[in-house]
Amino acid sequence: MGKPYKLLIIDDNKEILTAICAFFTNKKYVVVCASDGLEGLKFLESEKKGFDLVITDIVMPNISGIGLIAMIKKKHSNTPVIAITGWGEHPEALASEAKADRVLEKPFELVQLAKLVDELLG
Amino acid sequence: MEIPLIGKSKDIEKIRELIKHVSGSSLNVVITGESGVGKEVVAQNLYYKSKRNNKPFIKINCAALPEGLLESELFGYEQGAFTGAHRKKRGKFELANKGVLFLDEICDMSLVLQAKLLHVLQSGEFSRLGSEIDIKSDVWVIAATNQDLEQSVKQGIFREDLYYRLNIIRITIPPLRKRPEDISVLINYYLKQYASRFDNKKFAKPNLDLLKKLNYYHWPGNVRELQNFLKKGMVIGNWEELVDELASCNKTEDNSILPYSARNIVENLSFLEEKNGADLSSFSLKKIKKKALEKIEREVISYVLGKTGWNRSKATKILKISYKTLLTKISDLDIKK
Repeated sequence: MGKPYKLLIIDDNKEILTAICAFFTNKKYVVVCASDGLEGLKFLESEKKGFDLVITDIVMPNISGIGLIAMIKKKHSNTPVIAITGWGEHPEALASEAKADRVLEKPFELVQLAKLVDELLG
Repeated sequence: MEIPLIGKSKDIEKIRELIKHVSGSSLNVVITGESGVGKEVVAQNLYYKSKRNNKPFIKINCAALPEGLLESELFGYEQGAFTGAHRKKRGKFELANKGVLFLDEICDMSLVLQAKLLHVLQSGEFSRLGSEIDIKSDVWVIAATNQDLEQSVKQGIFREDLYYRLNIIRITIPPLRKRPEDISVLINYYLKQYASRFDNKKFAKPNLDLLKKLNYYHWPGNVRELQNFLKKGMVIGNWEELVDELASCNKTEDNSILPYSARNIVENLSFLEEKNGADLSSFSLKKIKKKALEKIEREVISYVLGKTGWNRSKATKILKISYKTLLTKISDLDIKK
């Protein structure tokens, strides 16, 4: 088995964040969890080698997922991003416009998310 | 000139941190907070810390102008576009090119203009009134409001698509009464600043112990009210009288503890009317009394706990309730640190 992938997961909903982080914490992945956009951005700025993939919620206080995706794509354009949202068409359209690689609507099964992660990490 | 963001509260620290991280992004920002909290100061801080700081910072108040005038101010017009348009005029979007456009009181913009603003934000293009030529614009839009934006979306007076497009970065400035630790810092800063404007010793210096009383005032007009108070004091000089006057506005059972005046409680009740306005069957004085009581209890207990550094024993002595009652209230009223 090769080096584990490094994932950054951002969601202001504690339960969802804990569930996703617990699900991906295994031999295949090293997981960093952030509870809002600002915290996520700080991890992105401090992690010199960058992340292999980012999973972010869209509607969050301070820095929204849309803002985060835009900033990731500006500085680390090769980092794939999965946007997760449960707020209808407008945030989803904005996530696609901000060039999120995949958009997943809440509620979703964790296996659906895992499938998208596998797809993007090849 | 750059206006610093004054305060030592966690809220202000967080806002400083946010400004540091997002000022280089040019992503749309919404700044919310009550009148007088310093929304424009935050907008200017974003601008000064960005690479756009050598380009214009253009401000427009959406509540101050009637719809037609606001539209022509924003987008400009060609000669002959309407009666009175004797020569062409550039709008704020053109003037702010490469810089910042600060849209204050954004909730007061009409739905028609909101649609036009949405178009500019989506396409990065606009046209002057009376012209079909699209003009490219590179403007960093920072919007501000003292209203509840989410509520305005629910009420249908603010477009949902515009809300999501603007709300990429959200900076919320809490009212001064929620961050009383900033009051003394603000007082010191503005006293020094205003003193330099006065001719040396020709103004009346206040007794700093006296000014400590101001920490317990609820400052409904926030920082702006504090500034005006200090200016007034420096000109008139009767600090003691002015401080007592403010303290009496706070008068309830014990004005040294309670952060709210009775008037303020009634103002805060108006949200119940709005929510139940359409369906009066759910409206009753009993319900309001219960909600109001909970609200006051929550605020007073939070305030006292904050003042005692969450020392529950001290808080029970001030509140004259048992330790057990305090713990139950903290849990039932969902009071958090």
